[in-house]
Amino acid sequence: MTTTVATPTLTPPSEFSRILHVMRLHLVNRQVYIGIPWLILGGVFVLSLIIALLINYATGDPTGSKLGMQYSWAVISPLWYLAAVAVLAISQSFPFALGFGVTRRDFYLGTSLLFVTSSVVNAIALATLALIEESTDGWGIGAKMFTSLFFDGTWIANFFVYSVVQLGIFFIGACIATVYMRWRVMGMLVFWFGFALVLVGTIALITLTDNWGPVGGWLVAQGTVGIFAWLLLLVALAAFFGYFILRRATPKN
Amino acid sequence: MSIVIEARGLTKNFGKFTAVDNVSFTIEQNRIYGLLGRNGAGKTTIMQLLTGQDFASSGDIAVFGQSPVENANVLANVSFIKESQKYPDNFKAKHVFAAAPSFFANWSQELADQLIVEFRVPMGRDVKKMSRGQVSAVGVILGLASRAPITFFDEPYLGLDAVSRQLFYDRLLEDYAEHPRTIILSTHLIDEVSDLLEHVILIDEGRILIDSNAEDLRGSASTVVGKSRDVAAFVEGRDVIHRDGIGGLSSVTINGQLSQAERVAAVEAGLELVPVSLQQLIVRLSSLETSEGTVK
Repeated sequence: MTTTVATPTLTPPSEFSRILHVMRLHLVNRQVYIGIPWLILGGVFVLSLIIALLINYATGDPTGSKLGMQYSWAVISPLWYLAAVAVLAISQSFPFALGFGVTRRDFYLGTSLLFVTSSVVNAIALATLALIEESTDGWGIGAKMFTSLFFDGTWIANFFVYSVVQLGIFFIGACIATVYMRWRVMGMLVFWFGFALVLVGTIALITLTDNWGPVGGWLVAQGTVGIFAWLLLLVALAAFFGYFILRRATPKN
Repeated sequence: MSIVIEARGLTKNFGKFTAVDNVSFTIEQNRIYGLLGRNGAGKTTIMQLLTGQDFASSGDIAVFGQSPVENANVLANVSFIKESQKYPDNFKAKHVFAAAPSFFANWSQELADQLIVEFRVPMGRDVKKMSRGQVSAVGVILGLASRAPITFFDEPYLGLDAVSRQLFYDRLLEDYAEHPRTIILSTHLIDEVSDLLEHVILIDEGRILIDSNAEDLRGSASTVVGKSRDVAAFVEGRDVIHRDGIGGLSSVTINGQLSQAERVAAVEAGLELVPVSLQQLIVRLSSLETSEGTVK
């Protein structure tokens, strides 16, 4: 009897289709990335309008809420949910996808494509809503939600800032989850203590060299868009490290 | 004979613990293998290594002649639903089955639909709220309907009732007959699957104890029962794997095929020869090391 090595029976789809399949795997339950975030945002929007009406009633000024609502955090409320989604994408969908014969590489690229697509689509919608809010003078009642916090620039600036905030939540959340997937509890301990050390160290450095003035000046000079451009760099780093950490991670029980 | 998987000197350490210890074996195409062994013997680890889910500490694995690690060419041919398979918390059974087809080129929706009805899978229920048996049924259906050229079943029936287990064995054999593929099944319920298996690999403490055709294995051990003195005389010089005795009677299990002449001799000596089931043989062999010290 001669012994031969069998050749693979099935050939995989092209790399791009494999990545799209991973993206679709995340979207099989539409609620996760689309339904629930917009449900949260819709609910918060209704609440914001009610609060604006209350302030207007109390101040007797039909646009009285305008100033106070500049610091409303309502628009970023879906982000906390999306942070959890990003962590679950790695901690649960990764082991699930490997059972379907997905490579780590395809999984990460497909998941990243989803993160980017979702961030960009949401940012287009949010920047457009900000534009409407602006042009209707706060939905006719001086309410502020989509133009609050740092989202009060032009459409393109808002689009950029909204995109970066969501990309940050997705990729930094996922990166931290990959550290857990690769090194478990010990990885988390090292990561969070390391993070705290860097943070405290930076504060100490600035304080001891008496540099808070220049640092503040530098931040002001960057402007909102500039600061978010720096954050985008941080997001890119998280995405980069996430990839290499996941490439050697194993879905243990 | 065509080889689909070859492992040489495969070793996996977790810190100081060696889960898989210098193991070598081959898996032939289109046969049903039983990967047997006790809890913690290393079965799941071996399956994880063969499917690229874990990384070997040393040794080589060739699946279709290539390393499975991060290799889409290999993994497109593999289905591996672990006993501890994680499903996303926000997935209902219908989401799992909606996701599966695009990852398995040979996926049979017809078979999946049939099995979903037969196993009574509650499609609208969150997987995390299902009973252990229902989760196992989801895994079994994925494994069967994927019709992957290499299908791994890791303890597929945990929590499945007897009816569902029988259903699994029946459907596996039927579908295997129509669509031959390589199946590697790890299990504790050896007697139940004994007729299903064509080849057995027995693992204990990360090492291979048996790697043999199931047919050869079934007749490879016998228990000799009779008067202690006669039994002792008959088993003299043979590979004894188990001894039992009450009063003047003893029952000794010996490894190795008996010839027709030897069988006749045993009967003439007033001894009874009892066939040893695959499960008994495996229990005897895997517990040999620990029980050796207490053998009289």
